[in-house]
Amino acid sequence: MTGEYRKPLPRVTSDNRPFWEATKRHELRLQRCGACGRFRYPPAPVCPDCLSEDAEWTPVSGRGTVTTFIVMHKVYFQSFAGDVPYNVVQVELEEGPRLTANLVDVPNEGMTVGMPVEVVFDDVTPEITLPRFRRTS
Amino acid sequence: MSIRDRTAIVGVGTSRFVMKTPESPMRLATQAFKAALADAGLARDDIDGLAINIGWPLGVDYDRFAEVCGLKIRFADQSWTHGRFVGPALQHAAMAVASGLANVVACVCGVSFIQERGLLGGPGDFEGTREEGGTHEENPVYGLTAPAAGAALSAQRYFALYGATSEQLAAVPIAFRKHAMLNPQAIMRTPLTVEDHQNSRWVVEPLHLFDCCIVSDGASVVLVTSAERARDGKEPPVWIGGMQGMRAGRDEFLFAPPGLGIGAQRAFRYTPTEDELSVYRMAGVDQTDIDALYTYDAFSPLVWFVLERFGFCGLGEAAAWTQTGRIELGGALPMNTSGGLLSEAHVSGWNSIVEIVRQLRGACGERQVKDARVMQWATAWGDSTIFHR
Ligand SMILES: [Zn+2]
Repeated sequence: MTGEYRKPLPRVTSDNRPFWEATKRHELRLQRCGACGRFRYPPAPVCPDCLSEDAEWTPVSGRGTVTTFIVMHKVYFQSFAGDVPYNVVQVELEEGPRLTANLVDVPNEGMTVGMPVEVVFDDVTPEITLPRFRRTS
Repeated sequence: MSIRDRTAIVGVGTSRFVMKTPESPMRLATQAFKAALADAGLARDDIDGLAINIGWPLGVDYDRFAEVCGLKIRFADQSWTHGRFVGPALQHAAMAVASGLANVVACVCGVSFIQERGLLGGPGDFEGTREEGGTHEENPVYGLTAPAAGAALSAQRYFALYGATSEQLAAVPIAFRKHAMLNPQAIMRTPLTVEDHQNSRWVVEPLHLFDCCIVSDGASVVLVTSAERARDGKEPPVWIGGMQGMRAGRDEFLFAPPGLGIGAQRAFRYTPTEDELSVYRMAGVDQTDIDALYTYDAFSPLVWFVLERFGFCGLGEAAAWTQTGRIELGGALPMNTSGGLLSEAHVSGWNSIVEIVRQLRGACGERQVKDARVMQWATAWGDSTIFHR
């Protein structure tokens, strides 16, 4: 990485801080309900299934499949001007929840719904590490 | 007690619809308001309610509008500044009248998307930075921004699940362009072909430029009153026969039908139940009675989604269903006969409510739906209102 990172950074809140602390350690952790055992994402103070507040930030596999993808052609953020056309994907993890991210190693014309992927970690600033995904064979 | 036929629309008015104007949204709104009063044969002092969905910074707020027009308002209602609330705002107007909180509610929409287009994606789109994602699945950290991107996420997955194509999607903007060509008020009035659509630039792939609505300025006003008052009106009333509210929850993503599997939505094969389509029961009609359907066509895939969500066709069938002119004037189910947001103007959907009223009065000239009796507003996010003459 050269120079200062100018792209938007995540809004770290009391609800999602453990997610970003984990990615900084290159771990993907999601909340798992202590009462019913279901994983949830995005982070939330209660389980949407049983309303329990009891949850643990549990490591997940980081493996999943692409459920949809787009290619951004228009520049909305100047900080992305050098990247267009760039992809954005949604990935359904083996544990169920979906994450929005980018695919790092797939050309735009090579993306498909259903493509198997795994997480990689991108240290974009000293404080923030973004999970992204790469194709698995 | 059901709200069926207890309220009606008795007046509609619009400003000019334009891509570029020195006129403020407030000026446009006052023009539309005076036009609606004249249309209804009502006086300014008859208006005691206001319902607004698009306020600052895109449009006119209730407090300023009441001050500017010298109104004495006893029921004021304003939602989050989003087009999706057009249906709910109209429903609140009807509910306020039916419950005696107001005699006549003016639904007012005066907007300038042109002046404020920086709100629709990028650093000026403050809402898109909401923690855990914006309302159209925005996630600027990964460059996912602007409402169009949310619609593109849904379109891509729909294409993959059902084998639908961008060429098939072109049928939607082409149909509405044909309607706009019969509407002197519409902004986009040149013919549109599949080739034009396919050759237009990508905005967010798989959506082309012509899959995305116009960014424009304009105003529309719709006056809602009680059955008793409506019968004495200058124009025949357009009755509000039934309604159902906007949906929210884990199975809902604004720009997808339930079950598509975008964001937090579960992925499953969705078939609407009778209870989920209670608007028809309230209005005492079914899909086969609908003479024309109107929807919030900010992006062309939303038209497919509303057809499936409201049971006009089955899951995954909308792509094929919308070919061969079925949603065009003269087709089995004309949609957005004014040209909609894709080709008439982006007055947050109120231009389509105005069109419904004009159609049910039989006042649409060349683009009149013959013998129209029942028309429906319905959106991909599940709210609906049924109107009849
Ligand atoms: Zn639980």
